[in-house]
Amino acid sequence: MSEDSFRQRAILAKKGHKFEDFEEGQIYEHHWGRTITDADNSWFSTQTLSFNPLYFNEPYAQSLGHKKMVVNPLLVFNTAFGMSVEDLSEGGGLFLGVDGCEFKEAVHVGDTLTARSTVVSKRISKSNKQAGIVSWFTEGFNQNGTKVVEFTRTNFVRFGNPSAIVMGDA
Amino acid sequence: MKLTGNNNYFEDFEVGQVIRHSRGKTMCENDNVGITLQVLNTADAHFNEDAVKDSFGRRLQFGGVTISMIIGLSMQDTGENALQELGLDKIRLKTSVFHGDTLYAYSEVLAKSDLDGKSGEVRFKHWGINQNDDVVFEGERRVQIKKKSAFA
Repeated sequence: MSEDSFRQRAILAKKGHKFEDFEEGQIYEHHWGRTITDADNSWFSTQTLSFNPLYFNEPYAQSLGHKKMVVNPLLVFNTAFGMSVEDLSEGGGLFLGVDGCEFKEAVHVGDTLTARSTVVSKRISKSNKQAGIVSWFTEGFNQNGTKVVEFTRTNFVRFGNPSAIVMGDA
Repeated sequence: MKLTGNNNYFEDFEVGQVIRHSRGKTMCENDNVGITLQVLNTADAHFNEDAVKDSFGRRLQFGGVTISMIIGLSMQDTGENALQELGLDKIRLKTSVFHGDTLYAYSEVLAKSDLDGKSGEVRFKHWGINQNDDVVFEGERRVQIKKKSAFA
């Protein structure tokens, strides 16, 4: 057995989905969940110059009625988005935009986020022979099941088999 | 507590006002790779340089980082006295961002309305540009901001 036979024997543990895998109305419950720590929140907020002390000064947050520091809503958005990536967009294709992002409820340090997404629409673009356009509605929840964020995201999503896609005049 | 500025309360914003935010930020690995993996984004085009050598040529910045950075660059002027971020809309990523690019932010006040005695809602349009003046980001944001009359 040659020294690198492990490479011949290995089977790729594939990740991600392609355009053909999505059906309108399909729901994905995303993996992992994420407890947002004090360090996550303070680091993210200062790293992005997000200078509102609600996110990194505990007595200030308490003076405005919060029991703990508020998690930066952009971190809430990014975490719900991040957990959705393996199911939705890891298969490849540029992230185009977000519509209707609503922050429904404040998140505090120590809260745990989970996410799920519904396929809203898919279409073929005339100008792109390698990928179609898919939109998903993503919702983020806290540990009590309360919705904290929702948004619709649109990406190019690579075709699994570009030669089998009928471009037509879509 | 007097920990926040005195020129960015609800009363200070005027519809039509356009702000050029004074600071820029050069994107680095901490920003893109750090935040991408912190938020469990598993798409390796953002953190595997070898995988993208024939497509993008270098690691592509996660759009969520670009959105956060442009809103962050605007935050002291538009949200330092915010009680709550309400939402984002019509976010469009117009140009890809890579490590080494420098981002700057601009904001326009689109609308403002009273919410209660202590705060009001301001709707902003934000733009992000890179060092070549390409627009990398545009989008709208709604924020609930303290009234000076109640807090200052």
